[in-house]
Amino acid sequence: MIEIKNISKSFKRRGKSPKRRFETEPQLTGKKVNALADVSFCAENGKILGLLGPNGAGKTTLLRILSTSLKATTGTASFDGIDILQNPLEVRRRIGFLSDNTGLYGRLTGREMIEYFGRPYGIDKKTLKNRIDELIGLLAMGDFIDKRNDSLSSGMKQKVSIARTLVHDPQIVMFDEPTTGLDVAAAEAILQLIESCKQKGKTVLFCTHHMHEVQRLCDNVVILSRGRLCFTGTPQQMLSQTGQVHLDKAFLALIGHKEALNA
Amino acid sequence: MRNVLTIYLKEMREVLRDRKSLIFMLLLPAVIVPLLLNLVIAFATKLEEKTRTETLTYAIFGGEFLPELVEALSAEKDFEKIDIGEVNAIESAIMEKRIKFAIVIPEAVKQQIQESNQVAVGLYFDNSSVGSKVTYRAGSVIRHVSEKWQTAQLAAVGINTPQQRKQLLNPITIEEHGIAPTRQVIGAHVGGMLPYLFIILCFAGALYPAIDIGAGEKERGTLETLLLAPVPRYQIVLGKFFVIFTTGVTAALLNITSMAVILMTKIKELTEVFGEVVKSVSIVDLVLVAAMLIPTAAIFASLLLSVSIYARSFKEASAYCGPLNFLVIIPAFLALLPGVELNWMWALVPITNISLAVKELVKGTMNYYMLSAILGSSFVIAAAMLVFCTKWFQREAVLFRE
Repeated sequence: MIEIKNISKSFKRRGKSPKRRFETEPQLTGKKVNALADVSFCAENGKILGLLGPNGAGKTTLLRILSTSLKATTGTASFDGIDILQNPLEVRRRIGFLSDNTGLYGRLTGREMIEYFGRPYGIDKKTLKNRIDELIGLLAMGDFIDKRNDSLSSGMKQKVSIARTLVHDPQIVMFDEPTTGLDVAAAEAILQLIESCKQKGKTVLFCTHHMHEVQRLCDNVVILSRGRLCFTGTPQQMLSQTGQVHLDKAFLALIGHKEALNA
Repeated sequence: MRNVLTIYLKEMREVLRDRKSLIFMLLLPAVIVPLLLNLVIAFATKLEEKTRTETLTYAIFGGEFLPELVEALSAEKDFEKIDIGEVNAIESAIMEKRIKFAIVIPEAVKQQIQESNQVAVGLYFDNSSVGSKVTYRAGSVIRHVSEKWQTAQLAAVGINTPQQRKQLLNPITIEEHGIAPTRQVIGAHVGGMLPYLFIILCFAGALYPAIDIGAGEKERGTLETLLLAPVPRYQIVLGKFFVIFTTGVTAALLNITSMAVILMTKIKELTEVFGEVVKSVSIVDLVLVAAMLIPTAAIFASLLLSVSIYARSFKEASAYCGPLNFLVIIPAFLALLPGVELNWMWALVPITNISLAVKELVKGTMNYYMLSAILGSSFVIAAAMLVFCTKWFQREAVLFRE
């Protein structure tokens, strides 16, 4: 379970912004950029929580805070009761995080890369080998697992990244736009894997821009806009609250997009 | 520390699989630099040979006043007389490279000599031509003619034997007795170059891997992946630091070994002298020379990693590292300057102190109290820079600079 309590994050602003940006972007205040403001929500075990928001809403910042790469300016979060500020290493042991920012070591093979990331979790050699073999089978990576990552296609690379994320069998998994740039088959394999995580009782935080993926996978949804939480509820509640029939329209309405409001 | 080893081994594996890193770490110090040195030696030798044996074209004016000199110049097999017409044409003829030199003999030269006056013969040449042997070769002929006159004049006053002439012209000669042992003499020359090369090569060897495993990782997004692993950040820094340290030390050691082999095979006559120097350097001194490499490489590794991790991209890191070259080259070069000797003042200047200490160790004149101060201060600087690098690596503004 993930509990996020009043998380805010501000960054020092670099360079000068035109005055009009302050009128249209309330995150910009003085010398600081408020990337997140007072965000609180929960993600339950055995459920998939969709984290939605337009570009620049603060999703990546929030995920970086949850993965302990960044520190919140105020507020905190806990994973199964373990606080991210007090025990970041223990949190990292329990989570798997796949982001569009997380790259692969091009000069290593997929197997070497997964092994490398498995070792810091203290998994013994035999268990690690079995776990890697299991992931190779699960993600159908047998044909390319011993090729250098540089030579792999986007879909193959994403599979290696997912295997890296799941090598220590984490209880909490966070996916940040995992199907971006993938073909239909590769994207489908990944969506099935996310569903299997739910079936295994894991807590899944799933960040995407594709509403059909939200429709298919998410039990609950939180929407961020300009660093603030603007919706929490189920996909069905997104529709009922906005009076829309499609999630795309409902999403646009919830973030206050003019085009959606005029429709 | 298991995590540090895991990171170190993975980074080394990547470095060894990267062609560019291999070029800077292995090929450049072990093959390219020694090969270039070899080429420079061969080129310099050939140039020296050419300037000694090339045909010198010349013009002579007033030859009728001193036919002995005209005759002597004609007798030289590599000299060729050219007619350029007027005396006024000398300058343009030399600049246009039609002649290498010109000689102008004043009127009544013989009469002046017979009246015991000193006479100047004009020698015109291109003095901007570096390494030219014109003055030496043309001057030798003039000196030879002058000596003939000298011998004749001395004979006229009854001084006939070479022994008498020597005694008259140089009643007191200097007999030089350099008391420094061979090791010290060679060490004073080679000992200065050795640290200069190993410092530069150590830096060059560490440079590319440092950029690759810092800014390169950031650019490729793998740094963020690594930050997700349950590994304290100081351990990540240590793993990366040791990789850069290893590549720097490897590059320096390979270069020293390779250069020594090439120099010894190329310049056979040096083998004996170098052999003597090497034999006279004690094991303790050799270990100490190698020990100087440790803080040097550690300082470079911390500095380069800090810069590299700050940069957003490979390109940005390369731009930052360019000026850093000067920070390394200038202090290392200072030790090569004449008059710069190890003392307590220079012992406090980082990099220069290491250069000077290596020079003293090779010469065998090291003040070991000073050496311990240099080693101690260098290790303190290296440790301080490593601590800084670790703190630097904790900063969000550095790791997630956008």
